[in-house]
Amino acid sequence: MISMKLLEINNLNKSFDNKQILKDINLNISSGKIIGLLGKNGAGKTTLIKLINDLLTPTSGEILVKGNKIGIESKKIISYLPERTYLNKEMKVSEIIEYFKDFYEDFDDKKAKELLNKLDLNINEHLTKMSKGMQEKVQLVLVMSRKAELYILDEPLGGVDPATRDYILDTILSNFNDNASVIISTHLISDIERILDEVIFIDKGEIVLQSDADKLRNKEKSSIDEIFRRMFKC
Amino acid sequence: MLNKLLKYDLKYMIKNMSVFYILSIFFAITTRILFNMNQSVMIKILSQISVGCMFAMIANTLINTIMRSWIRFSSSLYKDESYLTHTLPVSKNDLYNSKFIQTLIFFIVGFLIILLSLFIAYYSKDNWISLTNYIKTITTGLNMSTSFFITMAIIVIFLEIFNAIQCGFLGIILGHKKNNGKVGYSILFGFIIYLIAQLIILGLVFIYGLFDSTVMELFKTATINIDVNAFKVLAIVSSLLYLVIITIMSLICKNELNKGVNIE
Repeated sequence: MISMKLLEINNLNKSFDNKQILKDINLNISSGKIIGLLGKNGAGKTTLIKLINDLLTPTSGEILVKGNKIGIESKKIISYLPERTYLNKEMKVSEIIEYFKDFYEDFDDKKAKELLNKLDLNINEHLTKMSKGMQEKVQLVLVMSRKAELYILDEPLGGVDPATRDYILDTILSNFNDNASVIISTHLISDIERILDEVIFIDKGEIVLQSDADKLRNKEKSSIDEIFRRMFKC
Repeated sequence: MLNKLLKYDLKYMIKNMSVFYILSIFFAITTRILFNMNQSVMIKILSQISVGCMFAMIANTLINTIMRSWIRFSSSLYKDESYLTHTLPVSKNDLYNSKFIQTLIFFIVGFLIILLSLFIAYYSKDNWISLTNYIKTITTGLNMSTSFFITMAIIVIFLEIFNAIQCGFLGIILGHKKNNGKVGYSILFGFIIYLIAQLIILGLVFIYGLFDSTVMELFKTATINIDVNAFKVLAIVSSLLYLVIITIMSLICKNELNKGVNIE
C-alpha cells in the first residue's frame, strides 16, 4: 500500500450564526484506505464532508488534497456521493452519463453502463420516473464509475433495505482501485464494520478518536459497533 | 470547461423556452392566415383570439427568459443540483460566465423570435411604409437618423432589461449569503440592487449634466420643449453607464462566488 498524505486538514473550524459546528479539526488521510467517519446524527460528519467538497466555506483552518487547496485540482480527484438526490431530474440517465463524461476525465462510461445494466436500470429513463431508491443507485454507480483517488460517500446506506446495503458495499469494494481511499460517513456501523481499515469517531464537532480498525478492536476486545455504543451512550 | 457548462445551460433553456418560441411563431402564422381570409364575423373573432395568443406568447418569451435565467442560476448554484455544480472541476468564474452568456444568448434569441413573430403576422408593403413613416416622424423631430434611433432604442432597452437580470443574479448571491435558502431575501436584495443601480445611473447622468446644459435641462424642466440633442446624449451616456454597472455587478458576483458558498 502506498502511504502518502491524500487529505490533510489543519485546525479546521466551522460556525453557523455564532454556533460552532466543527471545532479545531486536525486530520490526515493517506492513500489506499477505507475509512469510516462515524458519529451520531448531528455530530458534524456531513459538515466536514461538505467542507472538503467546497459546498461550505471554512470559518478558519485549511484543507489540502494532495497538497492543493480545495479547488479545481482537488475536485478532479475526489468523487463525492452526497446524502441526497442531487441530479437534474429533467435529464435521462444516459444524458447524466454524458454529463459526467464531459466533466470528469476519469469517468468510465462503459463501466457505468455495465453497473446500471446489472441493476436493471434503464439508461433511457428520466430520473423523474425513477423512485428515490433507484435515483440513489444511479448516483452511486456514477460516483463509483470514476477512477478517483478519494471517494467520499455520505450516508450511502441511509434509508435502504439490508439486501441493498450489501449490494452497495459490494459495489464500493469492487469498484475502487487499491491506491484510492474511501471515506464512508455513517451511523450504521455494524453494516460497514467488516470493510473498514480505519475509523474516525466524531462527536459534537470534534474528532474524538482516529485509529486503525483492527488495532482498536484488539485493544478494546470488542467490535467497532460496540465501542461506538459504549463511547456515545446517551 | 466553459463551453461544456454552456452546452448544458443552453440545453436547459432550449428545453424550457422552445415551447414559447414555437407557439409564438405558430400564432403569428395563424394570425397572418386569418387576416388574409374573408373577414366574416367568425373569422374576425378567430383573428382576435389568434392575435391575443400571439402577444401572450411574445410576453411569455420575454418574461420566461428573465425568470428561467434566475431559476436556473438559483437552482444550479444553491439548490440540490448545486451539490453537483460546485463539485465539478471548474472555476467559479466559469460557472458564473456560463450563466451570463446563456442569458445573453437567450435574450437575443427571444428578441429575434419576437421580431420574427411580428414580421410574420403583420408584414405588408403598406404596413412597412406606415411604420417607416412613423419612425421618420419621430426621428425628424429628434433631428437624428432612423438607423441611429433604432440602434440606440434597441441598445438602451436591451441594456435596461439585462441590467435587471444582472441585479437578480447579484440579489440571489447576496440573498443566499445572508440567509441560506430563503427566497425572500434574494428577491429583496435583487430589488434593492436594482433601485441602487438606477439611482447611480441617474446620479451620474445628473453629474454629467453639470457639464452639459442640454442634459441638465432634463432635470430642470417639465416641458418636452427641450434640446433634442439632450436625448441623444442621454441615450449614449446611459448606455455607457449601464455597461459599466453591468460589468461592475458581474465582478461583484464573481468575487462573492469565489469567496465560497454555504449550501444547506
